[in-house]
Amino acid sequence: MIELRSVSKSYNKGKVKAVDDLSLVVKPGEIFGFLGPNGAGKTTTLKMIVGLLKPDAGSIAINGLDTQTDALACKAMTTYVPDYPAIYERLTGLEYLNFIGDVYGVPKADRLERIEKWLEIFELTKAVGSPIQSFSHGMKQKIVLTAALLPAPRVMVLDEPMVGLDPRSAHQLKELMREHCDQGKTLFFSTHIMEVAEKLCDRIAIIAKGRLIACGTMDELKKLAAEPGQSLENIFLELTET
Amino acid sequence: MRRLASLVRVGLKANFGLAILHYRIFKEKKDRWLIPLVVLAAVGLGPTFYYLLRLLKDLYGILLPLGQQQAILTFGILGGQILVLLFGLYYVISAFYFSRDLELLIPLPLKPFEVMTSKFAVILVNEYLTIAPIVLPVVISFGVMSKAGLPYWINSLLVYLWLPVIPLSIISLLVIGLMRVVTLSRKKDALIIAGSLLLIAAGVGLQYTFVRSAGSPMDAQPMIRFFSSPDSLLGRIGAGFPPSVWATKALAGGFTSAGLTHLFLFIGVSLALFAGILVIAEKLFYRGLIGIGEISGRKKAFSKEALSRRISSGRRPVRAIFAREWRIMNRTPIFLLNGVLTVILLPILFLIMARADTGGSDSTMILKALTSAKPFLATLAAACFMAVTGTLNGTASSTFSREGSQFWMSKVIPISPREQVAAKFLHSYLIALLGIGASTIVLAGMLRLGAGALLPAVGLALAAAITLTAVGMIIDLLRPLLDWTNPQKAIKQNLNVLFAFLADIGILVLLGFLAAFLGKIGLSGNIKLIVLFAVLLVLAVVSAKILVKLADRRYREIEV
Repeated sequence: MIELRSVSKSYNKGKVKAVDDLSLVVKPGEIFGFLGPNGAGKTTTLKMIVGLLKPDAGSIAINGLDTQTDALACKAMTTYVPDYPAIYERLTGLEYLNFIGDVYGVPKADRLERIEKWLEIFELTKAVGSPIQSFSHGMKQKIVLTAALLPAPRVMVLDEPMVGLDPRSAHQLKELMREHCDQGKTLFFSTHIMEVAEKLCDRIAIIAKGRLIACGTMDELKKLAAEPGQSLENIFLELTET
Repeated sequence: MRRLASLVRVGLKANFGLAILHYRIFKEKKDRWLIPLVVLAAVGLGPTFYYLLRLLKDLYGILLPLGQQQAILTFGILGGQILVLLFGLYYVISAFYFSRDLELLIPLPLKPFEVMTSKFAVILVNEYLTIAPIVLPVVISFGVMSKAGLPYWINSLLVYLWLPVIPLSIISLLVIGLMRVVTLSRKKDALIIAGSLLLIAAGVGLQYTFVRSAGSPMDAQPMIRFFSSPDSLLGRIGAGFPPSVWATKALAGGFTSAGLTHLFLFIGVSLALFAGILVIAEKLFYRGLIGIGEISGRKKAFSKEALSRRISSGRRPVRAIFAREWRIMNRTPIFLLNGVLTVILLPILFLIMARADTGGSDSTMILKALTSAKPFLATLAAACFMAVTGTLNGTASSTFSREGSQFWMSKVIPISPREQVAAKFLHSYLIALLGIGASTIVLAGMLRLGAGALLPAVGLALAAAITLTAVGMIIDLLRPLLDWTNPQKAIKQNLNVLFAFLADIGILVLLGFLAAFLGKIGLSGNIKLIVLFAVLLVLAVVSAKILVKLADRRYREIEV
């Protein structure tokens, strides 16, 4: 579970408010989609959850533990996939996965089983012995996803995870997101692909200019639309119109 | 031409980041502390410059009656050009082939020579800054002491602007050729490192020749002839690299026909070489550049058994982070050249230069005599040489900066900052150990120092290296440079490396004062060594504690 309570974050000595008094709860077992226009505060929110940024105000808890006071415990149960896969290019794919396994303390048997499984699903078995430098953007994205799955985390935070993936890999990712949450775990992800959010998410939040403007299931969001039966894309455009 | 000017302007702006610095200092008010620090560094360097100027004045006084005073200018100019040769190699390889903006520039409708010129301009400005501390004091003090007129100052400006062009053009030519070969190969990184070592070896060979040609002994008759000609000393110093003689004569001659002839010769040859580089760049630059980023990987999948063998059974986090640091440092050519290779090469260079001096007898004899006459001083000097060789290479003071945009991983992994910093410390300290080991071997071989003199020096160096490594890491942790696009910036052009260098020199000077004080109060040699060792251990513990405490705070504060 992820809980954000009145979280705010600003840049440039308070002149640019990126996230403004944001409160929301992501329950265990649910895929939670986070939508918003460019610069709305999505990445800032995700980065605050995983400890890359420090909130100016408010608090964030992961499974009841505060991310500021129990930082290491929160990190041990969370993995993160950034919007751009900036990873150790001079390591081979396998060295990178081993590094992640070591720092998250994944036992060898689990490590072997999970690495084999995800490498095969993401078609990385041949490439994994090569330096990450030689990978395409999509392959880098897939190795980061494999690394994020390796510790079998209770909470996953993904920033636009579909970008750069081919249709087959994107499909696999959606399947694994569902599988992850069916085990009672939590998944919070941002996306610009409305169709994915509409079909995949149990609940969706829409953020604009740092403020939460809508949050709920697809049915609940539809009720906010001016006309009935509108798609998520139309609802999004209507709600985020300036 | 307008397109080229605009490209050069953008390149300079992007690389020297004046707009960003102005924004950070005056708008964001983030880096304001840089202003007093720069002032402090300038004040700290004041005494060094004072002594340099005094030395130049004395030298001028000695050489003036012999009519050899122009040799001072040749010293300064040649020193500047050797510095260009040394630093130019790193600058050229990384600017021509590893800056990420090249990916943006190649698809633009620009000619290869235009892209190369913009990169060359950036390196040129870097070199102006690099040679300033050597060349400017010499040229300015010579002008003042010889009461030179306006022509001297005008020629000085022109010579300074053209000074790095000849050595840079030579390096560019070699690097462009090297990269053309490198792109044809699958083992690109290994070739770059091997090629760089070859170029360094060629540079050392060249210097060996300079020193030997300047220092070989003379008989009486040639000696008399030597001092009866006013140009003989400068000719002898500049024999290995004639442009330094032309530049000297251009300065000393002012607007006389000899002065102007040498000025035109110096600028003409620089221009001709640069033009030659442009012609070659037009043909070869893109051929070497395109494909440099292509890294071929394994084509075969691992079998189940092979995969199982390669999957680690679980290293402790400190070991895992240490292994990451070691691999990334040694697999990035620019980092490797600055780390492991520097600490091993530096003592070897020292050895070669000492041997080159009059066939390797005089300087070694002097050092040996000094060692037996003043054993305490010799131990201190040996310890200082070992500590400097091991730590002044930028490994510790760029340890956080080197992570760059990948620092996000260090923030999200469930490993405490203390453990992460411990692993990084071990990595930097291991490189320091390599340097201390290499310099111990060189000192033992060259001075035939026995274990009695070497062991205390090694002990002091090992203890000093803890503090110097921790101080370097503290400086980098205070302001890590994480937004680089070219690995060169993380280590060679990182101000933290310079600040750590100044801090380390300051610490060693203070320890020198302490040693002198211990001598003054009449302590015996062994007691002095024990006191110094104890002080170094206290410093090591204090600096390590500060580092660990700071890590807890800074890992939370640094936002990526």
